[in-house]
Amino acid sequence: MNRKYPEIKPVGDCSVLIEYEEEVSPEVNLKVRTLAYRIEKHSFHGIIEVVPAYRSLMIFFDPFKTDFKKISDFVNYLTEESVKIEMTQPRLFKIPTVYGSLYGPDLERVSEHTKLSPDEVVHLFASRPYLVYFLGFLCSLAYLGGIPKILEIPRLTSPRPYVPAGSVGFAGKQANIVPVDEPSGFNYIGRTFVKVYYPKKFPPTLFRPGDYIQCPSVSEEEAKWAGEKDLGDFIESI
Amino acid sequence: MKYGIPPSGAMDQYSYRVGNLLLGNPENSASLEITLHGLKIEALIPVTISITGADLGPYLNGDPAPQWTPLIMKKGEIIHFKQRKKGLRAYLAVKGGFDVPEVLGSRSTFIRGKIGNPISEGEIISIGDFGAIKSIKSLALPKLYIPDLNLHDPIQVIMGPQNEYYTLQGIDTFLNASYKVTSQSDRMAYRTEGPPIEIAKDPGIITEPIPRGAIQVPGDGKPIILLWDAQVTGGYAKIATVISADMDRLGQKMPGDTIHFQQANRDMAIELLFEKKRKIDTIKKLLNYQD
Repeated sequence: MNRKYPEIKPVGDCSVLIEYEEEVSPEVNLKVRTLAYRIEKHSFHGIIEVVPAYRSLMIFFDPFKTDFKKISDFVNYLTEESVKIEMTQPRLFKIPTVYGSLYGPDLERVSEHTKLSPDEVVHLFASRPYLVYFLGFLCSLAYLGGIPKILEIPRLTSPRPYVPAGSVGFAGKQANIVPVDEPSGFNYIGRTFVKVYYPKKFPPTLFRPGDYIQCPSVSEEEAKWAGEKDLGDFIESI
Repeated sequence: MKYGIPPSGAMDQYSYRVGNLLLGNPENSASLEITLHGLKIEALIPVTISITGADLGPYLNGDPAPQWTPLIMKKGEIIHFKQRKKGLRAYLAVKGGFDVPEVLGSRSTFIRGKIGNPISEGEIISIGDFGAIKSIKSLALPKLYIPDLNLHDPIQVIMGPQNEYYTLQGIDTFLNASYKVTSQSDRMAYRTEGPPIEIAKDPGIITEPIPRGAIQVPGDGKPIILLWDAQVTGGYAKIATVISADMDRLGQKMPGDTIHFQQANRDMAIELLFEKKRKIDTIKKLLNYQD
């Protein structure tokens, strides 16, 4: 089902939810990102922020300045507008990661589940770039997609209360790099020492929706040495 | 929020803002949010403060300190929040605002995200910007403008966006039963205990943005109300959203309190917001506060 016009719903009294097809795919996500970009470029009076996700986005507005109807009409207008827009160029981040042993507490589990050797798991995961669908959760967590089907494995039955920042792992169709020490139910197979979250900076991460992230396998020593550098040092242009 | 950072900020925005207005501060000057009693704070220089929000039993040098009015503290004087009487969170504003670094356009603390810290014993906090203070009338806020921390009024909600994930029976339960705020509650979310809400289908959804005040009901049927420090995106269905005008009152709820949810429509919700705005505008007029 190809839907040009998204579904537009009011949520609460000061937000609007805009939904495209119910699927996680780069094509649908591109529609979301494109609309978010268009809305921001227009600076519509009363719109406070636009927050994109997989296949939907939310517009937060000031009810003293505008209302649902005006925003709904505006979104439909933007959807009609077929002017080609130049969005910012996506970047590829190659983030050196050390896999296995104490840095990969779930590598064994993934290996057993997939019937691949740990080396094969690492090679399969580390050899490709993953699309940043959006930033969300709590600390600019980049939601990554494009995991090879064979690596789609369920979350842990109960989340670990503590996963160190820099942990690299996946569950279902999603992968992530943990930005701060936090609980998580994902399967972690590696660790990067490169900081991905800078709370005192604006923006707090360099990752943007539409970018790509790859986590090539390196030695522990190289991974630690990479940790001395900035996230920006690992950008390769596409 | 688009960077994956929640807005954070005061859980009772009205009390926080009025606290600043009473001192002639810009409305968004940094104040202290005090949760429960116990805090003792000493003025190291003469200051003027205001205490708004919950009644946590503040005493100034052994005498009960008046709230919702500017209060002068001499050097060495101490405010002690002795005993909670009503509400949960009090706001202590200081003339000039507290000097805290601005991060991502805000001086709010977000502990999980490593932005700011809770205050520790012995810590000294400076005052920020005397230059931003406006000259206003010194006024004790008339009772009419002091919120009655009426903990028994229902919390009004607008249904959706995933109310179809719950049965009619479930929605009926949600709007008629009582829910108790559990101790597993904080600035991120209030978890509640009460009659489980009947689910029509698996409440897992494709992760999407979450407005503040959204109420998730996961598989166990127990509502979780998401607040100012809550995650920006999530993958559980949401039955309803608390109206913006009720978020302040919600922010004064504490573990053990009961909540009743009542359905409201958008027009009513927005009218209540305008009513609140008019209140603040009137307060500014009374104070001779020029924007």
